[in-house]
Amino acid sequence: MADTVVDVHHDAHAHDDHHHGPSGIIKYLWSTDHKIIAMQYMFTGMAMGILGGYMAYVFRMQLAFPGISVPGFGQVSPGQYNALITNHGSIMIFWLAMPVLIAAFGNYLIPLMIGADDMVFPRINRLSFQVFFVSVLILLASLFVEGGGFGGAWTSYPPLSSEAEFNLTNLGSTLWLTAVALEFVAFLLGGINFITTLMNARAPGMKAYDIPLVCWMIVIASILFMLSVGPLIAGAVMLLFDQTLNTGFYDPARGGDPILWQHLFWFFGHPEVYVVLLPAIGITIEVIATFSRKKIFGYKMVLYTAVATGVLSFFVWAHHQFIAGIDPRMANVFTITTLLISVPIAEMLFVMIATLYGGSIRFTTPMLWALAFMAEFLIGGVTGIFLGASGADIYFHDTYFVLAHFHYTFFPIAIIGTFCGFTYWFPKMFGKMMNETLGKIHFWGTVIPFNFIFIPLFVLGMGGQHRRIYNFQHFPELAGPEMYNLRQTATIALLVMIAFQLVFFANVIMSMIKGEKAGKNPWKANSLEWTTESPPPHGNWPPDQMPVVYRGPYEYGHPDREEDYWPQDEPA
Amino acid sequence: MGHARPLATSRSATGIPTGRLAVWWILASEVVIFGGLLGVYIMHRLGHPEWAEAASHTQTWVGAINTFVLLTSSFTAVLAHQAAEKGDGKKAAKLLGMTILGALTFLVIKSLEWTNEISHGYTITANTFWSFYYTAAGLHALHVIAGAIIMGVVAFDAYRGRELHRVELIGIYWHFVDVVWIFLFPLLYIAK
Amino acid sequence: MSENNEHQGDGHDGGHHVNYFGIYITLIILFLISVAGPEVGDRFGLHWLTLVTAFGIALVKANLVINNFMHLRWEKKLMKWVLATSVILMLLMVAGISPDVLNHEGRNWQNLAAQAAVERGLGGDDHGEGEGATVAEGAAEAAPAGFSAASSFGTVCATCHGAGGQGDGPAGAALTPPPANFTDPAFWEGRDRDRVVTVIRDGAAAVGGSALMAPWGALYTEEQLEQVADYVMSFRPN
Repeated sequence: MADTVVDVHHDAHAHDDHHHGPSGIIKYLWSTDHKIIAMQYMFTGMAMGILGGYMAYVFRMQLAFPGISVPGFGQVSPGQYNALITNHGSIMIFWLAMPVLIAAFGNYLIPLMIGADDMVFPRINRLSFQVFFVSVLILLASLFVEGGGFGGAWTSYPPLSSEAEFNLTNLGSTLWLTAVALEFVAFLLGGINFITTLMNARAPGMKAYDIPLVCWMIVIASILFMLSVGPLIAGAVMLLFDQTLNTGFYDPARGGDPILWQHLFWFFGHPEVYVVLLPAIGITIEVIATFSRKKIFGYKMVLYTAVATGVLSFFVWAHHQFIAGIDPRMANVFTITTLLISVPIAEMLFVMIATLYGGSIRFTTPMLWALAFMAEFLIGGVTGIFLGASGADIYFHDTYFVLAHFHYTFFPIAIIGTFCGFTYWFPKMFGKMMNETLGKIHFWGTVIPFNFIFIPLFVLGMGGQHRRIYNFQHFPELAGPEMYNLRQTATIALLVMIAFQLVFFANVIMSMIKGEKAGKNPWKANSLEWTTESPPPHGNWPPDQMPVVYRGPYEYGHPDREEDYWPQDEPA
Repeated sequence: MGHARPLATSRSATGIPTGRLAVWWILASEVVIFGGLLGVYIMHRLGHPEWAEAASHTQTWVGAINTFVLLTSSFTAVLAHQAAEKGDGKKAAKLLGMTILGALTFLVIKSLEWTNEISHGYTITANTFWSFYYTAAGLHALHVIAGAIIMGVVAFDAYRGRELHRVELIGIYWHFVDVVWIFLFPLLYIAK
Repeated sequence: MSENNEHQGDGHDGGHHVNYFGIYITLIILFLISVAGPEVGDRFGLHWLTLVTAFGIALVKANLVINNFMHLRWEKKLMKWVLATSVILMLLMVAGISPDVLNHEGRNWQNLAAQAAVERGLGGDDHGEGEGATVAEGAAEAAPAGFSAASSFGTVCATCHGAGGQGDGPAGAALTPPPANFTDPAFWEGRDRDRVVTVIRDGAAAVGGSALMAPWGALYTEEQLEQVADYVMSFRPN
């Protein structure tokens, strides 16, 4: 029966070769090939990341030099400041982290790593990108309409977000909300593809525990997303009606409850951070295994703790609401669950450390990024403990301490994770090797300044500096020279970090044009994507040579073998 | 431009056909969307006993007729599935057609119901109860419309003997739409 | 509607024998009960009857549709677990949110015990126990004994105006117009002490100047404001 299926496909494939369809732009716009869709997500996501980074540049300049006419923007009014921080946060999470870590890497890697020729629903895949792209356009539009972009923070609490008389951005707030809702739909559609493809379309011989961890992580993240976003979609429809139809879902005077929005938002918002964390951990683990030449210390351990993290993540949400007026007894419960959730995540970090221990470590650029992920995320994680304790949070809530905590987690996830995966799979995606020297310069030029941005912010937060304020010179306790100098340090470090990103772009372009040709498997890794051409052709493998799997993906350093790696598809 | 179905789509490591697997996952996500909305409504309704006055104006008999319509349409949908299993595409298409007719009947009755209510001043902003009423029933109606359209496409193919497995899949989705209404009916019309 | 009457409602799905017509009739009967039950319940004031018939029957109907029409009972266990998880998750969410949202008294939660303690403390019992007395005492201790205009200038003003009042503070470097240089005679042309007081209190925009000089009136008592103005005047060259 397998032969029949293969034969049919072979004929169709041959047919395709003669009728390759329109070429050029149209081919790319309407392609259903998972690799092309992945690249569309990747580059759209990275472009949005540049926009989000530009916004950070502008508002940090305003914070360090209040009143300045920022080069490349102009003077920042309070309303514009709010719009900048709101859209910075929204863009980085919804339009950078998710598209790159889940949609781009998921789309690219899952079919390749499980030995399939594409996703199981290629046209739904294409639709999901198109919906995503529309959400990008709507978000961009929201920044240029009358009144400007929405400025009510990415958390969008009513009544600020529901009443135009408060937020002063009648059109902007509705467009922002619509863009977010469409992004959710795009990822629901995409998620279906990832989940069903992983469950069903694996190569013959690939059992559940032979699947590379990054694929598991992306699928678990998709399931987490799907289960948590539902109530928020309902809540967002309600908010949209409050904004446009003047309903009173969140208006206490009319029987509504603004705190309800907080619950719905954070019921999604907290699992969401694990939705982006798990794929980043998956990428890091793949890189660590390959460049330690060692099996993952506990494959099943990682898998089960990832699931445990996902499950637990549904029960911690109210730690974002400790001082919103909730019953402290409820806060007690959420303190306990929040502190508990640090355990499985720490567990995964321990597995990484244990994998490195005794390994034959190669400090390639991807490996440096993976190690940086571990170190920086560790700092982010432990500072979360302070915030998870409701007593301490009374002081820390809404200060820069929170902001520094989540940047010490999100930056490793969204930025370090992206660079880690991108530099690791670049040879496969583009058939060329990246320049190692430039890669390392970019690495150090990103990671060192990063710490100089956010450690000052921890100090500022402990000193009582609150979030979402556009000019601290208006507050005497925060206007003094020590605080001021910390703010300036952070901004200057950001400027340095931005400058070093040019090295990355130069490296990408140079390598694409005249990088050293990469073979099928430049890193000598085991998983299936390294058994095909770089870049893989349409269909990934010739239809009569689809891989068959004989072992797991981390068989490195086997004593009986000459080579220190053992590809999954090599017969025993 | 023809897209050959990938080899991946025909594989089934779990033993569940890929299409059906996907529909179950879609339903899981719909459960949390509707569950979220209905859960929110229930919390509000329990916290606002004074909404009983507003709620008393929903017309139970109209809701009941619509419930009957949807139940019957679920019946025709499952009969369509049965016909498709036997390979009888034309019969499946006709039964799907009847299901779509049920959907349209539902929508027409609902339009008349809403027009009537709005003309009496029970608009979406009249009272937060009505806001929930229109939002929940409206979200459901959107799913009815989407389901009817997809069902039309499936019926079109089935009549020509193509993609008969999709009859089951759209049926499963349609039964879910029916189940949501099975809970909406008591919530909005009976135990109001 | 039918061609083979005798096999009309019977399904043979992959070997499972399902009487679809029978299920349908059961559903209709249940539906009629669910409509009739509340009528009876309302008439006789038996609210439990309404709830049981309305929701209880809804559960039964849903069960019948899900298991028999959607064939879930013959589906692999994994998918049953997935769907059950999404339902249970929603129940847990409602359970987690209700304690908060179901209190619609204005503030969602009030610590009445703490409030009472504060009131006791403020009520004048100097040796009172509980958070109230401590809060009152603590507040008294926290307020500084004296006010120093020089010290306040150093904290509030110097970052823009410089420690020496020369307009050369670090935060002022990038501003347009630059912060005032109080040691410059040209600055004092047309400006007097009254204007200084006004600008400190209401911000420079209040006298037609730049909004970059914010109003600080909320920080100071009238007496303190006069002291700070005196300190600014002390930079004026004679």
